[in-house]
Amino acid sequence: MSIIKVENATKIYHIGESETRALNGVSLQVDAGEFTALVGPSGSGKTTLLQLMGCLDKPTSGMVMVNGNNVSQFNANQRAEIRQEKIGFIFQFFALVPVLSAYENVELPLLLNNLSLSYRKERVAYLLESVGLTNRMNHRPDQMSGGEQQRVAIARALASEPIVVLADEPTANLDTANGQQAMDIMQKLNQETGTAFVFATHDPRVMAYANRLIKMRDGRILDNGNGAG
Amino acid sequence: MAFKTFWIMGYRDLVRNRRRTILTLVAITLGLTLSIFMSGLIGGVMESSLRDSIRLTTGHIQLRAESYEEIKVSLLRRDLLDEPDALAVQAEMLPEVQVASPILWASGVLGTIRESTAIRINGIDPASSLHDPLRESLAAGEFLTNDGRREIMIGQLLAREMDLEVGDRVFLAVGNPDGAPEEGVFTIVGLVNSGFPGLDNTNVFLNLSQAQNITHVGNRASTVRILLHQLDDTAAATSALEIPGVAVLGWQELHEVLLTALETGQIFYDFLYAIIFLVVAVIIANTLLMSVFERTREMGILAALGMKGRQIMTMFLLEAAILGLIGSVFGAILGSILVYYFSITGIYIGEGSASAVEGMAIGTSMFTALNPADILSLSLWMMIVILLVSLYPAWYAARMEPVEALHAL
Repeated sequence: MSIIKVENATKIYHIGESETRALNGVSLQVDAGEFTALVGPSGSGKTTLLQLMGCLDKPTSGMVMVNGNNVSQFNANQRAEIRQEKIGFIFQFFALVPVLSAYENVELPLLLNNLSLSYRKERVAYLLESVGLTNRMNHRPDQMSGGEQQRVAIARALASEPIVVLADEPTANLDTANGQQAMDIMQKLNQETGTAFVFATHDPRVMAYANRLIKMRDGRILDNGNGAG
Repeated sequence: MAFKTFWIMGYRDLVRNRRRTILTLVAITLGLTLSIFMSGLIGGVMESSLRDSIRLTTGHIQLRAESYEEIKVSLLRRDLLDEPDALAVQAEMLPEVQVASPILWASGVLGTIRESTAIRINGIDPASSLHDPLRESLAAGEFLTNDGRREIMIGQLLAREMDLEVGDRVFLAVGNPDGAPEEGVFTIVGLVNSGFPGLDNTNVFLNLSQAQNITHVGNRASTVRILLHQLDDTAAATSALEIPGVAVLGWQELHEVLLTALETGQIFYDFLYAIIFLVVAVIIANTLLMSVFERTREMGILAALGMKGRQIMTMFLLEAAILGLIGSVFGAILGSILVYYFSITGIYIGEGSASAVEGMAIGTSMFTALNPADILSLSLWMMIVILLVSLYPAWYAARMEPVEALHAL
């Protein structure tokens, strides 16, 4: 079942008088439960495509459907709502809220969804246990290693039970061991929860985890991993 | 989203930037302290000026002949009250009235063998408690008596200027109602130091009957001065004292100059408050804008998590509210302590700055007045100003596009 559908999406950035075509007529479909890698060199459009799929940005032309909604037509608040309910994010630089503890960072999406205290406690405890950080729940980001921070970010991305987690170079700032641990956790949670993961990477070791590889170059999809590139 | 989390994030962000937060709090605290102190000082000076002017120079109510003009200090029969003692008795029958007593005013010249100077003569009944404040101001000698001796009491400043002391003899010259000069020799029995140079260097005090004798006005008087138990009773007492042919003047009319000055001054003081608040507002806006710029990445993360613009705005406004609340509480406490302290000790300004111009007496010390309503109102205004100026940085943060904010990563 398709949870994200991108049709002929183009994204053009204007910087001064110059024009940069980050995406050029991209079409793509992501199904529930997928563990997909978006691969390609820097500047190939991976991050831009993730941003469109994650409702962080709108395409210049074309259409993006998330969970059956044409989010290209959504206003900022509607996009915020769909991000809050359906999408989880993991960023290259961990992107935790610096003033909140690990527990509070994971709890944040649940607070945004107005979920009860008892549910939040239970859910956060489960997620932190899943990423092996139960003993670090009261630590703030600056008291944790990069690997631990990224595991908190993974727990947070899954907190509100999204249909898809979008990860932009999730291991780029981790050493090999921590990168591998993060990927193992993501793969385990993908299998346990059925949440789809789409992650941008150019690390061959990370690509090896994916059950689908989407190859990009110069804002186009060269191979969508379904043999229909 | 739980409000508590906004508070936690706002509070922790303030703690994270401790130095900036402390400097901003100092600005708010000092701004409010200064405003409260100014307000207390202005209020105190005005209040004590009015109270002392009423106590020493005008009373709460005065009865005068309808044609009497204070500035002319007329001794003409038509300008004086015919039966002042009867009017005083009538006034004292009112429950609101504490004391009433006739006074005769005249312009004259006080002289010695060496020099002479223009003065204002006050013919008073020494036995009346109306003049207790004057009695309390006695710096040397004794108060006037009723035994008919030719006694005079003069201001200490006047005595100093004319090199006079208790026991010295002076002559007093005054024009009678027919325009003919009258003179008398008097002995100084007491020196008055009321603390108001305007009163102490131009006024002399005689027994009322002595003043009436030298001016040939019979038993007439310029006014019957009335002191009430309560300032608030003025309207009731004024309407109860409606007597044909007699003008009844309340303290508001007697202090028209002071009240006009107060009204005009208030605009100036409000302008000063506005400047102080504006400076604090700029500092707050700067602090929050810096905070927004530093946390662009965080805004992007929060937006990615689904936080809406208005929630981000609320978060920043709460941060400003925390700053404003803490600063205002400190400012209100510090301001109140200062105002309270100077309401007891006063601020000495010296004789050069003191005055007792028409209707407005400022002593050698200025006392502040603690007015909780003013403190509350200024603190609330400070909070309102802080929240208003915080709208811009909060709005700036709220309208950031998530993608642009995340590019700050």
